[in-house]
Amino acid sequence: MFYREAGQFKTSYKADQALMPILQDRIGLLVILAIAFVVIPVLANDFFLTSIMIPFLVFALAAIGLNVLTGFCGQLSLGTGAFMGVGAYAAYKLTTIFPDANVIVMVLLSGVFSAAIGAVFGLPSLRIKGLYLAVTTLAAQFFLEWCFIRIPWLYNDNASGAIEIPHREAFGVVVSGAEATPIVRYFIVLSITALIAFLMANVLRGRIGRSWMMIRDMDIAAELMGIRPLQTKLMAFAVSSYICGVAGAMMVFFWLNAAEPSSYSIALSFQILFMVILGGLGSLSGSFMGAAFIWILPVFLKFIPGTIGINLAAETVEHVTFMIVGALIIFFLIVEPHGFARLWQIAKQKLRVWPFPY
Amino acid sequence: MNAFATDMTTAPDGSAEAAAREELLRVDNVSLSFGGVKAITDISFDILKGEIRAIIGPNGAGKTSMLNVINGFYHPQEGTITWQGKERRKMKPYEAASQGIARTFQNVALFKGMTTLDNIMSGRSLKMHRNFFWQLIWRGPAEAEEIEHRRKVEDIIDFLEIQAIRKTPVGRLPYGLQKRVELGRALAMEPDLLLLDEPMAGMNLEEKEDMSRFILDVNQEFGTTIALIEHDMGVVMDLSDRVVVLDYGKKIADGPPEDVQADQNVIDAYLGVSH
Repeated sequence: MFYREAGQFKTSYKADQALMPILQDRIGLLVILAIAFVVIPVLANDFFLTSIMIPFLVFALAAIGLNVLTGFCGQLSLGTGAFMGVGAYAAYKLTTIFPDANVIVMVLLSGVFSAAIGAVFGLPSLRIKGLYLAVTTLAAQFFLEWCFIRIPWLYNDNASGAIEIPHREAFGVVVSGAEATPIVRYFIVLSITALIAFLMANVLRGRIGRSWMMIRDMDIAAELMGIRPLQTKLMAFAVSSYICGVAGAMMVFFWLNAAEPSSYSIALSFQILFMVILGGLGSLSGSFMGAAFIWILPVFLKFIPGTIGINLAAETVEHVTFMIVGALIIFFLIVEPHGFARLWQIAKQKLRVWPFPY
Repeated sequence: MNAFATDMTTAPDGSAEAAAREELLRVDNVSLSFGGVKAITDISFDILKGEIRAIIGPNGAGKTSMLNVINGFYHPQEGTITWQGKERRKMKPYEAASQGIARTFQNVALFKGMTTLDNIMSGRSLKMHRNFFWQLIWRGPAEAEEIEHRRKVEDIIDFLEIQAIRKTPVGRLPYGLQKRVELGRALAMEPDLLLLDEPMAGMNLEEKEDMSRFILDVNQEFGTTIALIEHDMGVVMDLSDRVVVLDYGKKIADGPPEDVQADQNVIDAYLGVSH
């Protein structure tokens, strides 16, 4: 009843294959964008921006990156954390080598390096599939982590072995370093994430997105229809790693301020992978939902005991949060193995036919 | 053109009318083995432009292997393949696809996560050229290209009468419709040669009739040459212009349906013979 496309006739293929053919979807997207760009900056405090929104957007972008590879092209990867690390270290090196250059450009450029490295580690995908490919990407994870520790040039011989983000200004405002305000960081992260999500939506509905999905769904048929598996898979690896690299660079530049090799460990790879699986393989909106669930939910859960007046030790809250989130993950995967994106689709379908069951 | 001359020597059993037509594909003395298993032994036959050529034989005779050789998925150890006048040792899948060989599969090989429309659009992949950066922007050239190919795809959807399932993910479609979508996907490639691997397997009579009509229409209206593997002898005899019969990887008969039907070797292969 509330969500019904009756009467919205399409008179051209252009309108029919628009990103959001249904009016209600377009309104919904505009509302979300308005909240993200106007309401949150006006209302939110620094804690909300720094601890919830910025990391959420960074993780959402990383989840989009992994989703391109795993959800759309069907290549399972456990190297996401390392590819994010490559972006972070590349951006750090770039901004220390070219201190006067715009740091936002450097962050966007850093993805190129992780794209190149991702493509190299994607080479085995021609012969190896599924879980076995995941194992070869683990090699990327461990090798690159080793590089972050053992190559002092990467962190400019810093005694602590970490990268510390220098003070940088762009367009007259401080955008990175300890003095940058959360609101500036938030706008940068939000803009980059929204832009890349939009561009990927374009790629995924066109020829290239289809060729990835062809490889995912039936690689033999794809090959016999003229899709070259190696080029297509490597392109997916490169695009995915680019996005992950940018997310990794944003993670340290606009959120953490400093990063150690352990920031980009296998734990991060798994975290992103769970976001993708829980959000929905092969869905851009699912990437956002998965990131929100894994990142935002625990933060909220931690506040619940305090707000309703139960006095619990901090560690207990932490542990209970882990248990609740874990139980919820299992619950949602049993209810809908295809993730939140599918749940959302089912909900929309129910809304269409409401108040009737079908 | 020497195709005519070779025609006369390699296909003496073809009808006079067929021999006069131009040759599209010829395989000469092709042998294919997997380790010690000989899938195909020394097979030669040709496919003429515009005909419907059936390949039949009992299970395990090497029919599907033969199709896989033709579109480059298997590489034969011996023999040559002549495609549109150019002789080669083997085909490559990309080369076969880009030079106009399309196929359907015995056990439906659709892209299950994609809609009917996207599946058929995927058949246009080789004809679309806008690069990654145009695709990123979408507005302008990439969108125009998409619409241009969408028109062609819609023609195919109309032809196959599957308008209603345009936006349905193919995984949810019944088997008969999946087969039809798969035919549509192959047609979207606008092939010169269409390889159909058991297009009617597992269908009921009505679906078989529909599919037969589509195959004849494709052949007669679009002028597409068709190579067909099928176990339903009624369909094979009615549709095809010429038939190749394989048994245990060897060619045992070749000719018009009525000759093949009467051939003693073929009868023995299908009914069995006491040794």
